[in-house]
Amino acid sequence: MKSLQKLALAEKGRYYALYVIAIALGIVVISQAYLIVSIVDDLFLNKQTFDQILPLLFVLLGVLLVRASLSYLSGKIGVEMAARVKKKYRERLLHSYGSRTVMASTKGQSGSKMSVMLDAVDELDSFFSKYIPQRIITTIVPLMILIVVFSQHVYSGLIILVTAPFIPLFMAIVGGMTQRKSEEKLDSLKAFSGRFLDTVQGLESLKLYGRSKYYKEVIRKSSLDFRDTTMEILKVAFTSSLMLEFISMLSIGLVALELGLRLVVFNQISFFTAFFILLLVPEFFNSLKELGSAFHSGRSSTGAAEKIEKELENKESIAEWGTRSVEKPLSIKLNNLTYDYESSDFGLKGIRSDFPSTGQVAIVGKSGSGKTTLLNVVAGLLPPQSGGVVLNEHHLFEYKRQEWFSHISYITQHPYLFAGTISENISLGVQATKEEIERASVQAGLREFIQSMHDGYDTVIGEGGRGLSGGEKQRIALARAFLKNPSVVLFDEPTTGLDLQTERYLHESIQRLTKTSLIITVAHRVQTIKLADQILLLDKGELLAEGTHDQLMATSEYYRQLFSVQGKEEQG
Amino acid sequence: MSELTHIVKNMIQDKKDVVLSVLFGFLAGITAVGLFAANGYLISQAALEPPMYVLIAMVAVVKIGSFIRALSRYAERYYSHRATFTMLSDLRVYFYEKLERIGTSLFQKYRSGDLLSRVVGDVESLQNFFLRVLYPPIVMVLVFLSTIVFVSFYSLQVVICLLVGLILTAIIIPAWFAQKQKKVSSRILEERSKLSTDVAEWFYGFRELTIHQKLEEKEQHLVASSNRYIKEQEQAGIQSISYQSLNMAVSLLVSWSVLAIGALLVAGGELDGLFLAMLVMISFIVFEQSVPMALFPIHYEESERAANRLYSVADQTEQKSSHSIEGDQCLYASPAIQFKKVSFSFSKDQRNTLTDVTVSFPSGSKTAIVGPSGSGKSTLLKLILKQFDAEGEILIDGVPINQFEQEIIWEKANVILQESHFFYGTVKDNLLLSDQTLTAEDLSQLLVDVQLPYMNLDDMVLEKGQNLSGGEKQRLAMARAVAKKGNLWLLDEPTSSLDSWTEQRLYERLFTQAKKDTVILVSHRLAGLEKMDQIIVMDQGKVVEVGSFSKLMESKGYFYQLKQIENSVLQ
Repeated sequence: MKSLQKLALAEKGRYYALYVIAIALGIVVISQAYLIVSIVDDLFLNKQTFDQILPLLFVLLGVLLVRASLSYLSGKIGVEMAARVKKKYRERLLHSYGSRTVMASTKGQSGSKMSVMLDAVDELDSFFSKYIPQRIITTIVPLMILIVVFSQHVYSGLIILVTAPFIPLFMAIVGGMTQRKSEEKLDSLKAFSGRFLDTVQGLESLKLYGRSKYYKEVIRKSSLDFRDTTMEILKVAFTSSLMLEFISMLSIGLVALELGLRLVVFNQISFFTAFFILLLVPEFFNSLKELGSAFHSGRSSTGAAEKIEKELENKESIAEWGTRSVEKPLSIKLNNLTYDYESSDFGLKGIRSDFPSTGQVAIVGKSGSGKTTLLNVVAGLLPPQSGGVVLNEHHLFEYKRQEWFSHISYITQHPYLFAGTISENISLGVQATKEEIERASVQAGLREFIQSMHDGYDTVIGEGGRGLSGGEKQRIALARAFLKNPSVVLFDEPTTGLDLQTERYLHESIQRLTKTSLIITVAHRVQTIKLADQILLLDKGELLAEGTHDQLMATSEYYRQLFSVQGKEEQG
Repeated sequence: MSELTHIVKNMIQDKKDVVLSVLFGFLAGITAVGLFAANGYLISQAALEPPMYVLIAMVAVVKIGSFIRALSRYAERYYSHRATFTMLSDLRVYFYEKLERIGTSLFQKYRSGDLLSRVVGDVESLQNFFLRVLYPPIVMVLVFLSTIVFVSFYSLQVVICLLVGLILTAIIIPAWFAQKQKKVSSRILEERSKLSTDVAEWFYGFRELTIHQKLEEKEQHLVASSNRYIKEQEQAGIQSISYQSLNMAVSLLVSWSVLAIGALLVAGGELDGLFLAMLVMISFIVFEQSVPMALFPIHYEESERAANRLYSVADQTEQKSSHSIEGDQCLYASPAIQFKKVSFSFSKDQRNTLTDVTVSFPSGSKTAIVGPSGSGKSTLLKLILKQFDAEGEILIDGVPINQFEQEIIWEKANVILQESHFFYGTVKDNLLLSDQTLTAEDLSQLLVDVQLPYMNLDDMVLEKGQNLSGGEKQRLAMARAVAKKGNLWLLDEPTSSLDSWTEQRLYERLFTQAKKDTVILVSHRLAGLEKMDQIIVMDQGKVVEVGSFSKLMESKGYFYQLKQIENSVLQ
């Protein structure tokens, strides 16, 4: 709550304006009661005529209108404050996620992160739009009322003074409970939205295995859990307002009883005083009660704020880039490169190698030997724990991030296609004319495919590129690479799930690119690597051997084993 | 509107909570009015020095009243919230059921981020439907009417004044507000859904965005998107506060009028001054009920929109499922499948994905389908799975496919699609999709069989299997399929990410189990197809050649040429 409080204080102008409004509101509330009592008293006991009270009546009208305007102003300021704070927080979150490495960005369910980004930030709203304005009103108005009550009748004031402190006491106790509960709720909401997205996206698999009915129950259950946690928090909140009600009732009752006795039995005070106080006391407690409900929503904002702060503090995996400029030609070395995954004992262990500035480097090994991880480290997507990639005699992370990425292309196993047209998906990140895009598509072997689409280059392809086959996606990624004309191209298993034609395009493309660029390929097929200038053989995260195909065939037993099956099969 | 009636109908099934909410709401409201009236009366009476017992009786009434009020308020809140959250949970399940029926064609239409926003966001905003739209007006009208009946004993003028106030604050102002509100709330939901889609894309495409340096640009885009959303929220917030204040002003005005009228009546001797304080206090308290009505249009609007969007997805299912007739045919061992002149296209304005396909897969046969990317191989498998309706005839064991329920076919089929989905959970959870009866040892053995001996059953799999390599996913998918024990195998490039050695082990495992089963394998490699009974060669949606490996090689047709290309790539 403190950090939120600080944010509220940062909005100085608005914050103090709220205090001014609260003081004005206090004056209005007291005048309202005073005027009503005067009118009733004048008519009822003093038997005045209607004309005599008419001026008072009009003053009252004015006061009531001012009251409505003040409530508008204070609400408006609260909403404005909330908007500013939400803006700031969401920007910070985005920035924090944006500066993380690829691995960190996939850790945990994306649905959960989206929930923090959307729901948790939205939950901040009530602290500023409801709690802050109400809290300021509640610190001022009851105090003013209390002073007036004391000035009218000391004993009533004392009764209030004794009973009222129970309210903040209860609020503190209940508030603490609500906060813990609301964190639970946020967790439950996070888990719920994560699971739901995951389940919906895997609906096809679930149906194929006849399990979609079962997951319906999972959804029902997590949904009911969500209801139950929410009800738990709400029950606490309801109980707290019940307690407030009881305390205020007790207090008002005591005041009324005391006033009644003095008025009737002892004749010590006037009707005017008694009625005046009796109108003011409920206002006093109403103001506290409203704080109670505002307090509850403010508290749940605090829970949300803490979640956000936690996400923001999670800085462990941020890759720090430097300021050095990248100058061609590029020479890349791997210097005792070590990378460990936090979650498992698998990792890359002390890999050393020198890459040529153009040509083809192939990384081979069994599945799970660390090929893709090595590729990600070389790409600068994962920061190694020690050693690393040396680019032109300096550590890769000493260079400017943008410059490095402008020199590389990465064709992944499953290229991500963004919602947009085909040409938008190809030009991704590059300013290009229509002709350039078309040339790149032709080079990637996409021309016929695009021509067959009704809208050609303007055909919209959906999120995750649904509607395109694996080969078509790969070729779009390839077209991206051709358009970018990079110094380093990273291919991750470029022959994955492709038909012969796409495969041929890829091979031709690789050969064409090797003349001007360095191609680093993760490969598991002989034909991809036979032509490689340098082959890195990995096993369990270690570099077993290095050399050309012929050299390795001659020197490495492991290498021969790995390829003998494939070789034989492909001869037939 | 009809969408909200759906929800109302749904809620009425859980009658108890709903009735209790209204009951306690009314009780709380009416006791509040009673309390204030009694207080006003009490203080006036006290001024006239009445007998002591009258005072004591009144005080007692006030005390009991306030207890009832506080407890009723508690009960009202409790039951109304419980009714609401039960409704929400039903809605989510209902929505999931609908999605489940739409199935795979879904993602071309709705992007997953949007979908998430629909379900979480729209369902959440429906929580105000009961709490603020459905029952408060009922309670308010009940309380008002009871109050008016009570006041009518004292002054008809005041009754008229209260009625006018009721109509103004509960009907006219909210209706006027509703007009203005329509646009704002629709924009909020739209902006939220846009933002949610953008955020989803940002997370899923993170790597591509990083490498293509679009990260910062996209970040700016997201900030702008977020700011637009917040701007809309802010506007809506200010608008609602302005209407709340307006409503407050009007109800204060009405109370003022009650005071003025009462004053006039008392001055004219038509009303006992004793009741003036009581009437004024009644008027103040009863309008406290109507102030929240200023927000009624906001919540109504929001609920209606959310409901419309939810049901628009649902309605699509109704259309989809209506035109395919479901039969009750059963499937027995190793089905035979026939395609007769089957054509298919995903949408009217796109080229045909399949044209005049006539092929036959005898019972227990092993068939490979080969051909370039986009030639319709995968679509053919999907038609067997009844994921789409095609023109022409597809027969299973001689019976038209539309006489089978989709579930019956799926139950018999061991399917591996190009991209298998894995769920957030353990390896075990993901394998148990297929067969609940497998023991831990069976599962561990299965992992060894598919060449994943290093994987533990308790290892975590992240959402969409993001922490698995392509090869690991394919091996897990194979394990999942092998465990299923169906006798129709539909395999779409199941080993494309694996090295040949591993691939061979997997195929061995598969064919030992599938000896008597019908197997249809879509393959991108031509090597290793010698053992298959028949090979179907496809190009651009048409069947080009059918035959055994040796026959196709001898005839030196299309397959032979493909093989030549593969060989040339090898050189």
